[in-house]
Amino acid sequence: MNASVAALQGALAAEHAAVYGYGVAGAMLTGSAQADARADWTAHQVARDTLEATLAKVGATPVAASPAYALPFSVTGAASAARLAATLEEGVTRAYLGLVAVSDPALRAFAAKAMQASANRALAWSGSTVAFPGMTG
Amino acid sequence: MLAAWPTTLPLFLALSACKGPAVLSAPPTVSPQTQTLLHAVTAEQNLIWIYNRAIAAYSALGPTLRPLRAEHEAHLAQLRARVIEPPGKQVPGTVTAKPALGVTGAAALAQLRAAEQDAVTTLMSRLNAASPSLAQLYASIAASEATHVSVLGARIGAR
Repeated sequence: MNASVAALQGALAAEHAAVYGYGVAGAMLTGSAQADARADWTAHQVARDTLEATLAKVGATPVAASPAYALPFSVTGAASAARLAATLEEGVTRAYLGLVAVSDPALRAFAAKAMQASANRALAWSGSTVAFPGMTG
Repeated sequence: MLAAWPTTLPLFLALSACKGPAVLSAPPTVSPQTQTLLHAVTAEQNLIWIYNRAIAAYSALGPTLRPLRAEHEAHLAQLRARVIEPPGKQVPGTVTAKPALGVTGAAALAQLRAAEQDAVTTLMSRLNAASPSLAQLYASIAASEATHVSVLGARIGAR
């Protein structure tokens, strides 16, 4: 497996986890927060489909989603749901940082833009910024 | 031997100028990647300068701007730490752009937001020529500065 495919698979695995996790988080949210979670869930589904198509184009079999994922902590209400969403975005940002290291210019740019989107979603859920998204935590 | 040096020394120097040790040759050139890195250092210094001006001029903006400035200072430290060639190279410490600050707090916020967006665009343009680890640093800083655009935009919208 070459480096680009491995990094793409890593990003896809993170997107699968985010799609699952937003389903959990959204169930604990109401009103505008739930609408925001739904919009972010959709964004991750679109990213997942894009990554799967990219992998298929280079002849690789996209990694499948797990039937279930272990949550990093119990999600029991709106506050922990928001914290889960922020944690999911941090994981996605880290995965795309790995994709930035590949030599393909188009993949680098795609991954860097995806990092900006996920860092902004993390900001929306956590209310705070970090100096080095994807490099910490 | 002592009497001979006035004539042999100039001869030695003349030979050295042609084929001599590196100490007499031109200073080493800076690679394109390091040149780009030095530009990124200067860009962060310029951003910090304008944040300093805005915080000094509009104290009510301090709680919003100080955390963002602190992140720029962290960016600057990381970028400066990556300048490793040529040995002994002085990392620039001067601000090269000192624009007039917006005459109202709202104008200053809009100015900072535009500067952050420009910084994101510039970092994105630097990705392809960078080594993998430097590209990751640029991408992470660009993501951070993209969140600054959002924070500043929200503050503008809240005014």
